[in-house]
Amino acid sequence: MKIKFNKAGLVALVFMASCLAAAIVRAQQNSAGHASDFSSVEYFDAPHRQQMKSRLSGAEASPQAGGLLAIKQLKLEMFDTNGVTEAVVEAPDCVYDTMSGVASSAGHLQLQTGDGNLQIEGDGFLWRQTNQWLTISNHVQTVIKGALESKTDL
Amino acid sequence: MKIIYLIALSALASVGILRAQTNAPNSNAVAEILALVTTNALPPKPTPPHAPTRIDSDSADFDLNARQAIYSGHVHVDDPRMKLTCARLTVDLPPTGGRINHIFAETNVVIDATDEKGATNHATCDKAIYDYNVQGVMTNETITLTGNPQIVNAQGTNTADVIVWDRANGHVHETNPHMSGENLDGAGANTNGLPAPKLF
Repeated sequence: MKIKFNKAGLVALVFMASCLAAAIVRAQQNSAGHASDFSSVEYFDAPHRQQMKSRLSGAEASPQAGGLLAIKQLKLEMFDTNGVTEAVVEAPDCVYDTMSGVASSAGHLQLQTGDGNLQIEGDGFLWRQTNQWLTISNHVQTVIKGALESKTDL
Repeated sequence: MKIIYLIALSALASVGILRAQTNAPNSNAVAEILALVTTNALPPKPTPPHAPTRIDSDSADFDLNARQAIYSGHVHVDDPRMKLTCARLTVDLPPTGGRINHIFAETNVVIDATDEKGATNHATCDKAIYDYNVQGVMTNETITLTGNPQIVNAQGTNTADVIVWDRANGHVHETNPHMSGENLDGAGANTNGLPAPKLF
């Protein structure tokens, strides 16, 4: 079963928390309790209501016991009000606690800014929506392009 | 021989006339020659792109509200001009397209830098703070070493209470310096005579 819920204004998402909360709501509404190839979009408030703020997509979303939601092939894209991509977060596996607003995984996480100047990846992560705090537990690798160039280099 | 020379001269002259006629609005021959010289001048040497800076660590925390990254455990920074290791590194993340302007390294900080002449500098300290800011036309770029800072290079070993590398001005400032080794002119006094390695 393939479910698409990409309607404008469908849900107000703030990063993973509200995105994933919306996903589980839709999945439950479709009785099977399981969504595949889903995506969900959050739009900016006025005066940029036509612009996407973020788009969350995934290959699979399955409700788990205790208010958890298991997500496969998570991809979160964040945009500015001009439609320019600010960051893209990808994780092959992720579990989201809809009650506490915490997303976590023992798997890989990759984050890249839209301009490609900052790339972060590592294994095992915890995302706390309430204070916008991301912890990567192991093998953290960051690549920063051009961020330490100065006039003295020229 | 003279005939060839004359032919060559006349050919050159006719070329000049033709050019002058063709470019009537800019018929000044000197200007034309200058324009040719300018056109054929070698382009300025392109600045090689700065290789990316890489940071590896055991773990990291990212405060997206404060735009701050905190790296912990076996932190390794690999930049084209220096290598740094420490136990904890805090980086203020710049906005998109921006430049990092504050880095704080702490606990067992070791910095190995090579200056533009290829000389190596080995620095150790408890804390190192990198600051970058531009005020008007002034660029300030410093690395402040505190907590038993020590620099070892070809000139000797330098220790002080505080060592500040002023990258923008190419100076090293020391507070209460203690130096040993070779070429130590003015030892015991505050000195700017140390070579200024370019860290970061």
